[in-house]
Amino acid sequence: MKFLPLIWSGIWRKPGRTILIFLQVLVAFVLFGVLQGLKTGIEHAVQAARADLLIVHGRQDFIFSGLPLGLLEQIRSVPGVKLVAPVELFGGYYQKPENGILIVAVRPDKDWTDAFTFNVAPDQLAAFARSRTAALVTEFVAQKYGWKIGDHIPLVTQMANKDRSMTWAFDVVGTFTDSDFTPGRSKILVNYDYYDQARLSYTGSVNHFNVAVDDANQAVPVADAIDQLSLNSSHETKTESIRELAQQQVQQIGDLEFFVRAVVSAVLAALLFGTATMMMQSVRERTPELAVLKTIGFTDRAVFLLVLAEAVVVCIAAAACGLALSLTVFPLAARFVTALAMPPATLATGLALAVTLAVASAAIPAARAARLRVVSALAER
Amino acid sequence: MNFLRQFLALLRMNLEGEGARLGSVLTIVVGVTCTVAVLVSLLAMGTGAHQQATGDVHDDEAVVQAQGAQGGFDSNISRDELVALRDLPGIDRDKEGEPRIDGLVVVPFEGHRRDTGRRVFFPLLGVSDAKFELRPPAHLTEGRLFNPGLHEIITTNACVGQFDGFELGAKRAVRGVDWVVVGHYDQGQSLQCVVLTDAETLMSLFRRNGFNRINVRLKSPGDFAAFNRALEANPALKLEAKPARAQVEADMKQYTGLLNFVSYFIGAIMGVGATLGAVNSLYSIVDARRRELATLRAIGFGSGAIVASTLVESILLALPGALLGTALAWLLFHGMAVSPGGFFIFRLDVTLRLAEIGIAWALVMGFIGGLLPAERAVRVPVTTALRAT
Repeated sequence: MKFLPLIWSGIWRKPGRTILIFLQVLVAFVLFGVLQGLKTGIEHAVQAARADLLIVHGRQDFIFSGLPLGLLEQIRSVPGVKLVAPVELFGGYYQKPENGILIVAVRPDKDWTDAFTFNVAPDQLAAFARSRTAALVTEFVAQKYGWKIGDHIPLVTQMANKDRSMTWAFDVVGTFTDSDFTPGRSKILVNYDYYDQARLSYTGSVNHFNVAVDDANQAVPVADAIDQLSLNSSHETKTESIRELAQQQVQQIGDLEFFVRAVVSAVLAALLFGTATMMMQSVRERTPELAVLKTIGFTDRAVFLLVLAEAVVVCIAAAACGLALSLTVFPLAARFVTALAMPPATLATGLALAVTLAVASAAIPAARAARLRVVSALAER
Repeated sequence: MNFLRQFLALLRMNLEGEGARLGSVLTIVVGVTCTVAVLVSLLAMGTGAHQQATGDVHDDEAVVQAQGAQGGFDSNISRDELVALRDLPGIDRDKEGEPRIDGLVVVPFEGHRRDTGRRVFFPLLGVSDAKFELRPPAHLTEGRLFNPGLHEIITTNACVGQFDGFELGAKRAVRGVDWVVVGHYDQGQSLQCVVLTDAETLMSLFRRNGFNRINVRLKSPGDFAAFNRALEANPALKLEAKPARAQVEADMKQYTGLLNFVSYFIGAIMGVGATLGAVNSLYSIVDARRRELATLRAIGFGSGAIVASTLVESILLALPGALLGTALAWLLFHGMAVSPGGFFIFRLDVTLRLAEIGIAWALVMGFIGGLLPAERAVRVPVTTALRAT
């Protein structure tokens, strides 16, 4: 403890230099925090994706398959299936082709939202079920186009209705939020039966089915049983949980791990050089002072630890500030990608890295300080 | 003139002394090297992706899609519309006078990567042109073209290398029908796996009655305006045309934009770190030479020349870092195939332009890093500095 003032005065011997080193380490750890936070954030999001929610899509053609609606009853009879919902996706735009919107047609059966990642207020849910032309919209599009409840919105689509028009009109009855792994922002929900009966072609087909299962642990056998239904038919299906889909999506991002590691190593390599040089210089400048310490009875070990402690204190303080600063970037980044996360493990890794950095950069100068011969060091003065 | 002579003398003196200050010099060089290497490698992704997407585009081709279609899968163009398009001006015609126009159906197709077994979806393209042939430089390397109606497909050679089950004669089950691989072709520089077959067979199997996209070959790139005018003048056609290159650029914009944003974000943060390192190193260089600099000022060297020489020294120390960093990025990553978005695969491309960006980045770091130390070099009064130990 009695060394604390000594360490402190050593750190502030040249305030300019210390502040610069501090900032250098801080900047490096801001980057570390953001990159690592992105990686763990994505991993968390995948873990949070529901394993009990299955998507039944065409074996070859993913979620835009044309599966027959008739499959619905068959899937419902599979043991372990709690809920089946048909989903039809189609694109449209509002007023201008640039204003693209994904239209999701669903059936407002009882408890239908259990088979989706959507969240709707109860009264708006009831309103959605009451009217065939009802639509629920995301907060984002409601704000962007100024839609309010009760508005009648015409959307131009790629699908002709029985009036041979490409324009479909819906009535906004409320808003919804989506907790999916990658929720689209411009999205509206409409009534499947209304859409299916009013369209000119493709009647009775769905893009995919959403299935909620009773027990998430039984999701795999249930999925297999569903795929058995259409085996060797012209519309073979593939059933996967949205967690599996999220995992695949992450795998597709490629080697995030490699990328983060490469960048962080480059940052630390550059940093190590900077801090090591500075520590070396600091010890060289203080040779006489260190010699005085030894003269008044400090052991080699004490001097070694003293120099090391200075580096460790600065690096840890800077790393902690850097990680804290990176947290402020998180909400910003969350708008573009996914919610970033910094669990204690990442924090610990960061601080451990800071200590390693300090020890690696101060070991040689500290050893040099410890080996100092008092007589010759004082003579240099 | 006097300033210039002083400046050059000082600069020479600065640089000749670098050997004695190896630690500080290396800090600057290593810091700048790492920053430039990371920045250039990351930017090479955006450049590589762009190069990959636009490399095989023919400038005399145009793409027609339904108005407001998002991403192509939901674009729906009827057969009637395709027929109406045939008579528009500007379209190139073959020997028999048939317009070179081709309706495309796009269906996702599943493949499993050879190395990892991961599932990837990529497009299975159906072409409507009855006289379809590969346009050079694309050419068959093995087998033959598909025959319409027979469930035959041809694939790029890239498919064979990247995915399982695309060898000549291999069968792929799609919607309960076996499709046979009858040919392989080379596509120019693209690494993309593309699978081609005839549109009618695909449409009947998938119960489609429209095309996703129409490719048009024009007489010359300049004929696009006439073609587009005629298209827009026809109220029955709810379609929009773009030159093929513009279409690809638009499709890629978001993707490369994101890659470049990430690159510059990381490059900027690392740049700040390296600049701080440079400031620190230069401070200690200036501090170590305090008496020397004071002596120079005492014998008549101007402050301006000293400031300028320190700044230029800083910039010159950053330069080798820039070259080294670019060289490192080139050696380690140039030509490496990556697919950060899943199915779109491309090679990292370290171009001269990126080297320029890396060097510019380094020069800015050197300049900013040298500002404060240079000012410090002349701020201390001569008398105080001379007394310093």
